[in-house]
Amino acid sequence: MNYTNVSLIVNGCLKLDRCLRKELCVSYSRWKTIKPWSAGIRCFRSYQYSRQGYSDDVNVIMSPEEVTNILRKVEFTQDISQDAVKYYENNQLEANNPIEDTRVEAKCKLTQGILFGVFDGHGGPECAQVVAKRAMSYIAASLLPPHIVKLLMNGSLNLSQILEMYNVKGEFVPELQQLYHESFQKYLAELSETHNKNCSIADRIESSLLRLDFDMSHEALSPFEGFGRFNERTLSVALSGAVACVAYVNGPNLHIANIGDCAAVLGQVTEDDEWCFTKITKDHSTANIQEIKRIWDEHPTMERNAIIRSNRLLGILAPLRSLGDFRLKWPVNVLKALSEVYQNVMPSNYHTPPYLTAKPEMFTHRLAPKDKFLIIGSDGLWDTMSPLKAVKLVGEHMKGKMVLNTQIPEKDMTLGDINDLLINRKKTLRNKPKDSNSATHLIRHAVGGIEDHISVARQLSLPLGSCSREVRDDITVTVIFFDSEYLRQCPA
Amino acid sequence: MLNSFKRSAYQCTGSLVRSISNINNLDQKEELSNCLNALPSKAKVVICGGGVMGAAVAYHLSKRNWGGETVVIEKESVGAGSRWHSSGLVGAFKPTLAQVKIAQSSIQLLKELESRGRETGWKQCGSLLIARTRDRMTVYRRMKSQSVSWGIPCELVNPARCQEIWPLLNVDDILGGLWIPGDGVGDPYLFCMSLMKEAVANGVGVMENCSITAVHSKNGKVSGVETTQGPIECEYFVNCAGFWARQVGQLAKPQVKVPLLPCEHYYLHTKKIENLDSMTPVLRDPDGYIYLRERDGCILAGGFEPIAKPVYEEEIETSSQRCLSEDWDHFHVLLQELLKRVPSMNQAILHKLCNGLEAFSPDCKWIVGEAPEMFNYHVAAGMKTVGISAAGGVAEATVDEIVEGYTKYDMYELDISRFLGLHNNKRFLRDRVKEAPGIHYGLSYPFYEFETGRNLRLSPIYPTLRDKGAVFGQVMGYERPTWFEPVEKEAEKPRPFKIAHTKTFGKPHWFETVQREYWACREAIGLADYSSFTKIDLQSQGTEVVDLLQYLCSNNVDVPVGSIIHTGMQNERGGYENDCSLARISENHYMMIAPTIQQTRCKVWIRRHLPTNGSVTLSDVTSLYTAICILGPFTRNLLSELTDTDLSPSNFPFFTFKELDVGLANGVRAMNLTHTGELGYVLYIPNEFALHVYNRLTKEGEKYGITHVGYYAARSLRVEKFFAFWGQDLDTMTTPLECGRTWRVKFDKDIPFIGRDALLSQRERGIHRQYVQLLLTDHEHELDLWSWGGEPIYRDGNYCGQTTTTSYGFTFKKQVCLGFVQNLDKDGVPQKVTNDYVLSGHYEIDIAGIRYAAKVNLHSPHLPTKYPDKERDVYQATRRLHDPQQFLGRHYQP
Repeated sequence: MNYTNVSLIVNGCLKLDRCLRKELCVSYSRWKTIKPWSAGIRCFRSYQYSRQGYSDDVNVIMSPEEVTNILRKVEFTQDISQDAVKYYENNQLEANNPIEDTRVEAKCKLTQGILFGVFDGHGGPECAQVVAKRAMSYIAASLLPPHIVKLLMNGSLNLSQILEMYNVKGEFVPELQQLYHESFQKYLAELSETHNKNCSIADRIESSLLRLDFDMSHEALSPFEGFGRFNERTLSVALSGAVACVAYVNGPNLHIANIGDCAAVLGQVTEDDEWCFTKITKDHSTANIQEIKRIWDEHPTMERNAIIRSNRLLGILAPLRSLGDFRLKWPVNVLKALSEVYQNVMPSNYHTPPYLTAKPEMFTHRLAPKDKFLIIGSDGLWDTMSPLKAVKLVGEHMKGKMVLNTQIPEKDMTLGDINDLLINRKKTLRNKPKDSNSATHLIRHAVGGIEDHISVARQLSLPLGSCSREVRDDITVTVIFFDSEYLRQCPA
Repeated sequence: MLNSFKRSAYQCTGSLVRSISNINNLDQKEELSNCLNALPSKAKVVICGGGVMGAAVAYHLSKRNWGGETVVIEKESVGAGSRWHSSGLVGAFKPTLAQVKIAQSSIQLLKELESRGRETGWKQCGSLLIARTRDRMTVYRRMKSQSVSWGIPCELVNPARCQEIWPLLNVDDILGGLWIPGDGVGDPYLFCMSLMKEAVANGVGVMENCSITAVHSKNGKVSGVETTQGPIECEYFVNCAGFWARQVGQLAKPQVKVPLLPCEHYYLHTKKIENLDSMTPVLRDPDGYIYLRERDGCILAGGFEPIAKPVYEEEIETSSQRCLSEDWDHFHVLLQELLKRVPSMNQAILHKLCNGLEAFSPDCKWIVGEAPEMFNYHVAAGMKTVGISAAGGVAEATVDEIVEGYTKYDMYELDISRFLGLHNNKRFLRDRVKEAPGIHYGLSYPFYEFETGRNLRLSPIYPTLRDKGAVFGQVMGYERPTWFEPVEKEAEKPRPFKIAHTKTFGKPHWFETVQREYWACREAIGLADYSSFTKIDLQSQGTEVVDLLQYLCSNNVDVPVGSIIHTGMQNERGGYENDCSLARISENHYMMIAPTIQQTRCKVWIRRHLPTNGSVTLSDVTSLYTAICILGPFTRNLLSELTDTDLSPSNFPFFTFKELDVGLANGVRAMNLTHTGELGYVLYIPNEFALHVYNRLTKEGEKYGITHVGYYAARSLRVEKFFAFWGQDLDTMTTPLECGRTWRVKFDKDIPFIGRDALLSQRERGIHRQYVQLLLTDHEHELDLWSWGGEPIYRDGNYCGQTTTTSYGFTFKKQVCLGFVQNLDKDGVPQKVTNDYVLSGHYEIDIAGIRYAAKVNLHSPHLPTKYPDKERDVYQATRRLHDPQQFLGRHYQP
């Protein structure tokens, strides 16, 4: 049997169940050396630097510069200045090796909207990466009027003419690229015919994501159905999974599609100049009773005890919705056929699939001038801090940057006013952000804060993978800053 | 009388104030007319710098009719600095006599120019100093009592009166203040222009847009100056480059070290304030680091923040570069204090915040005097923002030095020779200058210690002493133990470095510690580190060195080899240039031990008189030897255990020198004296043996109860024994006749020494001041404020002098003050002082406003002791026989 795939699947299970994973840490460590996935698809970051201290058996605490270098390695800021979006900042910190989180941002050139996505993969990074790459074009296409879709289909319009991706890393291997292109063309063809003008933006995003999930399933199953064997590449995508949170900002409207346990939190300022937050998304986890009810209702009552076990779906998966993870979606016969090749694919108590859905929960919010920014983060972030803390951190950070950049006017200011300004500034200077990027600022706080260098350094010196995964999850943060001036002037 | 004086000052400045109404008049500048077009090829004096300092020196030189031979070289134009970047405060009260004299001379000059119709901006609006803390109030009380000595009228005021003087003041947290009606403000720019106009009118040549590129010397003397407009031959050079004085110093060949480093310094100008009296006094709130004054209807405020911001990397070339963009966050410290003190300033509108660079010296004192590196090269710099208070007086002193050869009053504390090379290290300056400006308004506690630039010069036994509990004070960069804290045996090592802060005007926290050390010296054995002392070897092939020293020293140095002579080096006026011990190592080899602070100074003085043929060599061996002093009755027993040399008085008498083997080490220069009046030895040990000798001494000394002692214990011993120290009691204005050391002056030497004539004539005329010891009889050391030096002495209720050094006498169990008394007539003119005069009066010492009765001593007292010292008495008797007349009537000091 193909060892790679065993490892993949075993590892997939491990990812899903931490207790098991801990025991099998050793076999996991082998995984690092065998990469079934094309390395070209993403940049693997190397932290030889930080781990060196351990390999030499010398425990050296990293210097503040080294910590900062690690924290800032992939930080990114993009100026947008289009309608409501001023700019966004994002950053990632891995715990898994390679990281299983993915982020993506893109501008829809024809529909004047900006897309932001955060994907938290599990059971391997493959699904999250594929979804991240493809979701943007699926959503962008779904939002287009039929005649443009046609142009896109027949090649008179290039995909890059409707979609501008930011901070892109890596490409698919050609084989997959071809496969995905075909699926996308098929989708376009369907879109051009069934396009319904009355369909809302939220509906379109929802259907496009469901379509993407369906395509992934189809791509994995079609070789099996055609030739009775599996394509390892598409299968690894289908067997891993990803939760997603995608935001689409169009004029003053914010649409969010949420699948799973990523979260989007809106940072707002009250009339008293205090920071407060609105959590827009709802987590699809066992903490959400509605979700549990939904699942119970979809299955026979007798299965109730088996469906949610130890806070996981079928005792396997923590999020209750996700893309991929077809082990929990495919019909029993498909999994049976699969388990002839790969053992342990079939979950126990698997009777009335699908147990899992990729149907996103849609939220629409009209942005107001008090809405200053939106934080989209993977659960790695929200495990370490409350939404309020995150909003306060970003808010103070933003204000700090604002105050620090204020010039004291030479003329016509009273000394009292200047004093107030300076006192204010001193306050913000005290927690003066080390990092100009607010996402980095959040991540630094997530791993220990700005005061406690030692604990941050300790966390970051842990060997990536098994050890670091024990203390934290992959963290991905995107912070989108809104233009209050635009929102103030925006007609109702 | 004061009020009428104030009114007349108001009247004479009133017209000036009215004529300046536009608040932007500070942007207006005029050009100096009649400047030179070309440089002369020759001049007597070249002054570098056309600021207020250079102008004042030019003015004073022109007053001495040197105008025609004086050239001022200015890089840009005269008075080029920004007029916004100065406060113009003129205050007479300074911490020491020399500084007070200088400020008073400046005020005199301002008034003089103003009366002749030259604009100076002088306005006698008075100044109000306020106190937020009790210690600050004590400082003011001390100032009030000192003001009698210095002739500065002033008045202690309560908070209500403060508010009356300064109506806008918030006095909620004020304990009181000091009102000085004679202070005022001036305008440095106007002052500078007026001085320069006067100077030009009296023949001084001014060359603008001309830079110095080099200062040359011949035979160690200034010979000429190289400029961008050609060379000038000259005899004297005066570095008045102010801010750029350090850089100008570097142009000299050899380099002249002027340790200065610029810091950011702020001036806040508000817009016009309604109903602000133009005679609003200057307000100084040193506890808030701030000052405020009225200027053209606006408020001008600034301060001296405790942690300054030095400018290190940037090289500043022009006056405009001196004005930096403002760092409001840095100024905020001061702004908050300003708003707290004058709450109505909250509504004042900002006109300008100016950030100008100002150069500060490492001890925040002015730098004046002849450079040690080059004769006739004078420096007048480091005026630390109060140039206008300093310029007139410093210039006068500088010109006195150039024309007369000496100044009217002792300037040691401001003299450039108080520095060593280390003080000019840029990194040292960067560290130190952070705290220097803060000292300006800091609390002047006794024995002030800096926090930065420490652990620089360390003796080889420093780490051991530190671990034994030493708490250090810094002198000339040297870390000297001041006292030893008790340390537990298992204490962590290395023990952290500790700085000897006193921070009180009353009984200090180290009292019991020093007391314990004092008694160890008097009844057991004390071990002190004297390594910082200046040590100079002087030798020659023939007898040249003896001749040189006979000429330099007032005592007879031609003594048998192995003897030590204590002698002064007098100047032409008979004052002490140096006070040292000379050990005759061999026929033509002397080792000179001088006070630590003399390290630069005494070498300059000797070098000035060295034979030009190079027959006498002078080498500074300060860094070669570690000096350990053991003091106390059992020191001979201890040292005998460590050496085979016979130490009995017949073989190694008091005040002699021997090269000993100590422990396993050799070449230890042992001197049988302690500089404190106690029995004991100072061992000058080659550095590599120091730790060995130290270890042996402490080990063998255990059974005698050897105790580490610090500087304060030794100081207490010598004050109680009435020993004078140079730099504290003795200075360039004090003669041996005035301080009871006539017996050390040998008038009948073959070679007449420097100052002999002056001393002879003083012996004829009689002295006008007398060094005395005063014991406070009704002072309660636990409760009362202590005397720390500088207190006025009253004789029969009349002011008659000031104390110099003071200490608690642990044997007398009384405060002991040393000081000089005068016989002042009704007009304050000193009259002859006789022993009868001194002994017949009833004395009091005024400590912060309270007078304590004092008993006077003319001679060293005989201290009762458990261990009478027969050998020394014998030795003393022998000396008296040897030199009967001179010894009589003066306190004992070999």
